[in-house]
Amino acid sequence: MSIHDKNTQTNDFEEVPPITQFPSPDNRISEIPLQVPSQHSKPDQQKSQTPFQQSMRRLLRDKRAVISLSIILFFILLTIVGPPIYQHIGTPYTNDAGQQVGPEVYHNPFRHDLDFEDQPISARYWLGTDSVGADLLARLMQSLLISISVATAVEVIDILFGVAIGVLAGYYGGWIDQVLARITDVMFAFPGLLFAILLTGIFGPASDQFLDTLPVIGQYGNARLIIVSMAFALTSWPMMARYVRGQTLQIKANQFIEAARTVSSSDFKIITRHIVPNLFSIVIVASTLNIAGTIIGEAAISLLGLGVQDPGSSLGLMIAERAEAIETSHPWEVLLPCIVLAMIVLAFSFLGDGLRDAFDPRSKD
Amino acid sequence: MVQFLLKRLIGLIFVLMCVTFITFIMGYLAPGDPIRSMMGQHFDEKLYLQLKHLYGLDLPWYQQYFNFLVHLLHFDFGYSYKQQQMSVMSIIATNLPVTLELGLWALVLQFLIGVPLGILSAIKANTWVDTANMGTALILYSIPGFVLAVFVRFAIAQIDQATGAGWPPTGWGNPWQYTWPDIQVKLAPILVFAIGGAGYIARLARTSMLEILRQDYIRTARAKGLRERIVIYRHALRNALIPLITTFGYSLGFVVTGAFFIETIFNIPGLGSVTMTSVSGRDYPVIQATVVLLTIAIVLGNLLSDILYMIIDPRIKAE
Repeated sequence: MSIHDKNTQTNDFEEVPPITQFPSPDNRISEIPLQVPSQHSKPDQQKSQTPFQQSMRRLLRDKRAVISLSIILFFILLTIVGPPIYQHIGTPYTNDAGQQVGPEVYHNPFRHDLDFEDQPISARYWLGTDSVGADLLARLMQSLLISISVATAVEVIDILFGVAIGVLAGYYGGWIDQVLARITDVMFAFPGLLFAILLTGIFGPASDQFLDTLPVIGQYGNARLIIVSMAFALTSWPMMARYVRGQTLQIKANQFIEAARTVSSSDFKIITRHIVPNLFSIVIVASTLNIAGTIIGEAAISLLGLGVQDPGSSLGLMIAERAEAIETSHPWEVLLPCIVLAMIVLAFSFLGDGLRDAFDPRSKD
Repeated sequence: MVQFLLKRLIGLIFVLMCVTFITFIMGYLAPGDPIRSMMGQHFDEKLYLQLKHLYGLDLPWYQQYFNFLVHLLHFDFGYSYKQQQMSVMSIIATNLPVTLELGLWALVLQFLIGVPLGILSAIKANTWVDTANMGTALILYSIPGFVLAVFVRFAIAQIDQATGAGWPPTGWGNPWQYTWPDIQVKLAPILVFAIGGAGYIARLARTSMLEILRQDYIRTARAKGLRERIVIYRHALRNALIPLITTFGYSLGFVVTGAFFIETIFNIPGLGSVTMTSVSGRDYPVIQATVVLLTIAIVLGNLLSDILYMIIDPRIKAE
């Protein structure tokens, strides 16, 4: 990513005023020397930093954002390396039928063992078991994997569509812009959750039948997640496109775009070399905040019984299954997924907030 | 103003057409033959065709869509596939008031809680009051409502066990009645629901108030030697409330959708529970009806916001 492009100097919010304030061509010439002293105005700063480096420094100074980022990285690491490690820890035991049961069996999130229901925390079950004897830690890791996979899938489509259509709408205007405006209008009235409820409600049962033959993504009651991800992706890209469009309009008004035109760069080159790299900050902030929404959305859909099906695990499903346990002696079984969900959602929200402050310090109140 | 309203209305009709079309076409494309599954073992060719005609499923799709729209204008969503004597509207009508009651109380309370906290934060900007206040607001706003609901149910259960007060854990009392047992059961869901929204309102209120406090006329008011109380309450507060009142309409829609999840955790027989039973029974007309009703609520809420904005802020008319 050519974020170190000299043109990104206009993103240097601290020293340089937004260039859009100098609309007349005469002022532009007098504006150029202004940037030079501002670069050297800090005597303690030996090397000049790109705006991106400055933003990263600001982000790393933000304690809340750093803690959030470490929580997110920890969760991601946990979902990837956690299950294989956990399935190798523990001693085998002999069950009533005289069979040897090893950790790869009883630490499997999809295994139900009715002989070990509602177990407390022990050396064998690190976080205990739920009402059907499945290991809670294994299920939590599986649920987190589901949350993160859905969020990733949604974000990939969100960014691809949002950036492509947003840039085109902002750069060319015209009918693309009109269509985008109409689509976002509809999306404002039709929130992603409702759309997902409708989609999974109608196509859910069929997808259980047809999609569960798919390897990995279709198994263990996860087939509907394809529909859930599609629903959230379809409803989230117009918002991204709208942000990108706005930013593109701002960038387009800058003089470096005009300079690129004067040396007869093609539209394609202007868009890919000069506009898209400058969209980095807005896209990363919007998608981080959108991830928090998607994770809540997936959990909510599963909570309603429309997402992940038994024996799969999802934070929402785990909450719904054991909501009644809150009044019994096993409140832990429902509090755990709640705490994990709250943690990951808060982490993404705080990180998004921190990123916004880091990339655009003016946005603070 | 009339011109603006007309423009908005046309946009609104376009949005509603899109949403109803999406809703309709999904039900139309839904896999499986609802009539066939409705008849189950007692399949009879003649009765099958009769039923198909009764539900209007033998028509081409554009006629079905047209009928869907015409019926929609009469708030008629046809008959349920599952409970065959019941019209969809009568099924929804028994549950809608509960969701509305929950949503409206939450909507009112979130403003009553959020606005004072936000204003307080703005007045004490960048002090520990502000930091603590906004930190809590961000947390409450970020955590999904159903997670808060679980925590609150846990707290109630613990307190109940400790004191033996016999607090009812879940359910809903008589709609729109407020005797002590009703209040007991309604208080927790409404508060949980309101608190999440209050976090958002508080953040908005703070931003809006800070913006106003920077204005020249506030400086003028202070320069005149007015007491701080008058500056804040008479000059700043009134103007700071303008953007907040307009969010009232926007929140309307989200309040109704959010109710689904609070209802699930507290076992409240509202729209959420109808949707869930109709989903498990593949009762498409009921799902379509809830989605369309909620969208109408959101769209009308947005329109309400626009109108409120014009009434409150005369500067809008000038444009």
